[in-house]
Amino acid sequence: MTDELEQLYQTTYTAVVRFLYRKVWDAERAEDLAQEVFVRALTHRPEKPRAWVFAVAANLARDEARAAVRRKRHLTLLKADPVAQPTVEPAADVLVEHDERVASVQQALSTLTPRDREILLLWDAGLSYPEIATQTGLALGAVGTTLARARRRLIDAHDRQHTIEGSHAAHS
Amino acid sequence: MRHIPEDELHAYLDQGLSRSQCVEIESHLAACASCQAARDGIAALRDRTTALLSKLAPPRSFPPEFESLRRRAASEVSARRRRAHLAAWAASLVAAVGLGWTASFLLRPHEPVGLPAAGQVATLPVSTRVARPADDRPARRDTATIQPSRRRAAVKAVAAAALPRVIPPPALELSSIDIPRSDVGFELDGMWRTMSWAGAQAEAGDQLPHIDGLPVVQVQVQTSEQGKQPLMVVAQQLASGEVIRTIEGPTSDVSHLLARRAMSDPMPTMTPGDSAPRDAVPSDTDHADRTMAMQRGDRMLVITGALPSDSLLAMIRRLNAEMRSK
Repeated sequence: MTDELEQLYQTTYTAVVRFLYRKVWDAERAEDLAQEVFVRALTHRPEKPRAWVFAVAANLARDEARAAVRRKRHLTLLKADPVAQPTVEPAADVLVEHDERVASVQQALSTLTPRDREILLLWDAGLSYPEIATQTGLALGAVGTTLARARRRLIDAHDRQHTIEGSHAAHS
Repeated sequence: MRHIPEDELHAYLDQGLSRSQCVEIESHLAACASCQAARDGIAALRDRTTALLSKLAPPRSFPPEFESLRRRAASEVSARRRRAHLAAWAASLVAAVGLGWTASFLLRPHEPVGLPAAGQVATLPVSTRVARPADDRPARRDTATIQPSRRRAAVKAVAAAALPRVIPPPALELSSIDIPRSDVGFELDGMWRTMSWAGAQAEAGDQLPHIDGLPVVQVQVQTSEQGKQPLMVVAQQLASGEVIRTIEGPTSDVSHLLARRAMSDPMPTMTPGDSAPRDAVPSDTDHADRTMAMQRGDRMLVITGALPSDSLLAMIRRLNAEMRSK
């Protein structure tokens, strides 16, 4: 028995994992959360499952971020220097390691406002303009405006980094 | 003739416009070289965005069988149903008593008209017993003169109002999908090997984290990909019998490990920052593990154990200094 949700699962699971990964930066956690999303979809049987799945994924990622902040309060991170005073390091240290190019995109993405970033990621996950509008509460006409700004900012931020890196390389 | 604004070109390329808007834009594009150039520029920008974002993908993704999710959903639903049944049972008891009282106002004790309605609630026999003392109330005479149809409707309405409401189960908390922390072992996820001390030393050499002079209880190794230094957990026993663990590995793996532990542990057992006053630590954490972590480049060194935080701090500093000098 194949149902609508199973088809959705086959076609969008990877997109949901990617969407979550770009929020929690932990591949395994993203998979766990994506599975949780589909389990919830199976128990709720939403009317518009595709938009619903991404809405729930966004909520789970938000909860996850809050939990991460709570966890970090309990973890003392010390600088490598043995004589240095212990300090609590910010989240940046705990991010997943990846190669520089990936880090530069991640960095560029972090310069966007949360709303612009959300809409760009939803678009990239394959949601249509009406779906994005419904999920974010944005007017349909404003989706294009937001995406135009988000794309421009992402590319600008990314190019700016590369100019800086380039000039560093030239000096060394 | 107005030129096409940038956001409309985005929406046009994203197929986010209505058919009529598309026709309008296409007819303008056909005649306007500057808008054509703008469109090409935006198409390129759009492609670059997609290409950049495609780098931000998790390394791998193995979707589990849908059937396994279906089973998980089914078990959650049945757990919810059990809770709902319990609530419904409690509510129906209340409803039965309530209905009995109300029915006594509406029905003569032996009048058969009320029976079909009474059949709606199986618990009515219980309720009639409760209801009997009310039979001699003066109100009975008035209500008994109500037309049978109206009477049935009234009973139905009461029955509907009194039907148990299903209390929605609380939303699933994230914490409930985490594996509870076991009291015995140090919980590890992923692929782990338990190794002999000699074997681990051969593999990790000087980078094997441990406190000199303490007996080693267990060495666990998680090999990461690309032949990098693995993530290691060395358990050692203090003279007092307490087990402390030293962990060394890539920052992301170690913090993931700690996060997993912290999440499955409702009590904040990790040591707060040094700025926090000592007495803020609850007294019952004496038996709980504390954790000290130190960032070393892209790797992380951690000591965890049921020790005062200043002891752990001293240990991790010494250990770090030793590992550096090797």
